[in-house]
Amino acid sequence: MTPEITFWVLAFIAVCGALVAVVRRNLIHGVFALMIFFAALAGLFLLLLAEFIAAVQILVYIGAVGILLLFAIMLTERVTGDDGRSIAARGWFWGLAAAVAVFVFLLLPAIQEADLPESAQSIQPSVKELGLKLMAPYVVTLEVLALLLTAALIGAVAVAQGAEVNKKEDSDDA
Amino acid sequence: MTLEHYLILGAVLFCVGLLGALTRRNAVVVLFSIEIMLNAANLNFIAFWRFGENPEALQGPLFTLFTIAVAAAEVAVGLALVIAVYRHFKTVDLEQLDTLKEE
Repeated sequence: MTPEITFWVLAFIAVCGALVAVVRRNLIHGVFALMIFFAALAGLFLLLLAEFIAAVQILVYIGAVGILLLFAIMLTERVTGDDGRSIAARGWFWGLAAAVAVFVFLLLPAIQEADLPESAQSIQPSVKELGLKLMAPYVVTLEVLALLLTAALIGAVAVAQGAEVNKKEDSDDA
Repeated sequence: MTLEHYLILGAVLFCVGLLGALTRRNAVVVLFSIEIMLNAANLNFIAFWRFGENPEALQGPLFTLFTIAVAAAEVAVGLALVIAVYRHFKTVDLEQLDTLKEE
């Protein structure tokens, strides 16, 4: 398969996956469509020769974020959404208009007027270089990111645990 | 495939995410619409890296790695907030979470 065909197939799958995820009433179906979108994007990263990013995309998004979203949906209400209530917010038309307007008046002119380079650069497989870069010039960023992830996980557990547990502990102390 | 194709694909995906974030009333769907927007931005980073000057600096993949990590942290905290909100209000319908609006 030539890169052109691969690009168009992956682009089609990505856009369809994203659209289905956004407009689908059943949330479980939505999450699976979202996983297909993530997989198509990983394919596009491979097509752009970013093989490590493609692997990370599959590990983090399909593996972790997708499962996390599934759990969050099953822990809250209205999994299938077939209770006849509207899935769209009030004033959804203005949301649609805003999204289309951002695309037509902001992003598309910006892309068309920019002076873009025509051809791709020749690059080598770069996982080793990526590791060296993370260890030398970007080590502070990496550490800050590790701190952020730790704080986010502790914060997520604390928030999800809720007030009732804290209250119970307080009464146990007293 | 030129850079323009990738940028337009990124713009379309971003707008699909924006559409979901603005029009859906379920908080979880809004959260994963935001994920779609972040992924569209990642695609732009990688495309600019592939087609731009000086690819051996690896700025595109590094930025994308950092965005993915921040997005993962955001999803964890966001879902914890959704679950906390659901416990308190017994709904994740954004239309009904209007306590601040009432007098």
